[in-house]
This record gives sequence, structure tokens and C-alpha cells, in this order.
Amino acid sequence: MNGISSGFGAWNPIAWTLLFLGILVVALVVRSFGRKDYKRGSGQTRAFLSGNEEPADRSALHVRGDHLYWGMIDGLSAYYRRVKAMHTGVFNDYVAAFVGVLALIFVLLVWVG
Amino acid sequence: MALPRSFKRALWVFHIATGSCNGCDIEIVAALTPRYDVERFGIMLTGTPRHADVLLITGPVTKPMLPRLKRIYEQTPDPKAVVVVGGCGSTGGVFYDSYNVVGPIDEVIPVDVYVPGCPSRPEAIIDGVVKAVTKLETLEKSGVN
Repeated sequence: MNGISSGFGAWNPIAWTLLFLGILVVALVVRSFGRKDYKRGSGQTRAFLSGNEEPADRSALHVRGDHLYWGMIDGLSAYYRRVKAMHTGVFNDYVAAFVGVLALIFVLLVWVG
Repeated sequence: MALPRSFKRALWVFHIATGSCNGCDIEIVAALTPRYDVERFGIMLTGTPRHADVLLITGPVTKPMLPRLKRIYEQTPDPKAVVVVGGCGSTGGVFYDSYNVVGPIDEVIPVDVYVPGCPSRPEAIIDGVVKAVTKLETLEKSGVN
């Protein structure tokens, strides 16, 4: 089987199809080990959420990336409050902040240098 | 009623505290420590009722826990055994007339075994789980659904 050499590895559609078929067979074999005597349409087919009801809007269950470091955000809440307040969404404010920081660095460089 | 093969090999237990003071919960944890080591019998705690054979419940049923207990019971695959640990789950205990308590566990879901004690000793908890399994095996042999 001759693949297309891209310089970043080989792309061979037949090899990839065979790989996916192999994975599919393994997945089906693992699935066949599961019990089939469960009650369809009962609570046994619904997700376990620590006993809580599954909300109609499943996106409400979405775990965002910042949930992983909520402790840091909570610990630095005083800082985050100020920084968030500075984020007005107005482009002019960001440019003003940029110019301000640039001016500060310039002054520091002149002062130290 | 036929018990699945996995039921006979190892018992997976899901622990629910429906309003306990945590005394019984600590005793359940003690049953897992090297002193009692229930895992040598294949009894182990699982993190989801979807994988459980036995529900181990402590405490009286408080109002916020009522729908959750019913939901967890529904989500546990059949056949399942329900073991209530401690006096509060069995009778309501000292919380029997509390404004926030619905009642003992058997007022909400069917219970197979009651383990007395305040808190129950780890030996009694292990005995209760074994009794629940024995009950299911007896039902299986007698052909009761």
C-alpha cells in the first residue's frame, strides 16, 4: 500500500479505515459483555448525577475549563474583581491601557537606565 | 429471579447517606480498613449505583434527599439488595419526629435487611450485607421473581 508522503507522516485511507474497523470491532466486543436485562425507559437508562435530576437543558451540566482552577480564582477574587471591572469591552479603553503600560515601561527604562 | 454471574463473583456496594450523622458512615469505612478488610470477600464500594448490587443506606430520609433516594434506587440494576445501616434509617431514631425528616428508609423504598446499632459495628454491617445476599440467593433458588 503506497500512501501519500506529506513530510509529516503518511496518510493512507485504507490503513486508517482498517484501523477504525479494528477499533469498532473491539468496542462492539467490549459492549457485548454488558448486561442486557436492564429495564428500558426506566431510571436504569438515565445518567447518574449524584442522585440529582438530569436537567432538560444538558448544556447546563457543562463543566468549563475554569472549573478546574476555581480555587485559585476564589483565592485571588479581590484581584479578579478589579481586573474584570477594567474589561469594559470598549476598544478605546484597551488602547488607553496599552499606551499607559507602554508609558510606564518607558519611564521605568529611562529612570533605571 | 436469576442472579447475574457478576453478582455471585463479587458484591459491589453503593453507599448513600440520606441524612445520617456520619457515625454509621465512619463504621462503613472502618469495614473497608485492613482490620476488617471486606474487599478480601470481593465486597467493595462503587462510585455509581449503575454498577451496584447492594445499596447500603444510612440515616433517616430527609426531605431534600427523598427524590434523590428514589432516583438512585431506580437507577440501580435488578436484582438488588437494600441494606439499612443504623437505628436512624431503620426507625427514624432520635430524628423520628423532626420537621425535616420524611421517615425511615422503608417508608420510601423496600428494604431487605436492617442492621441495628448507633452506630452499627463493622461486623454487623458485614453480616447485614451477607444476609442480604443470602436472601437474594434463597429467592433465586425458590424461583420467586
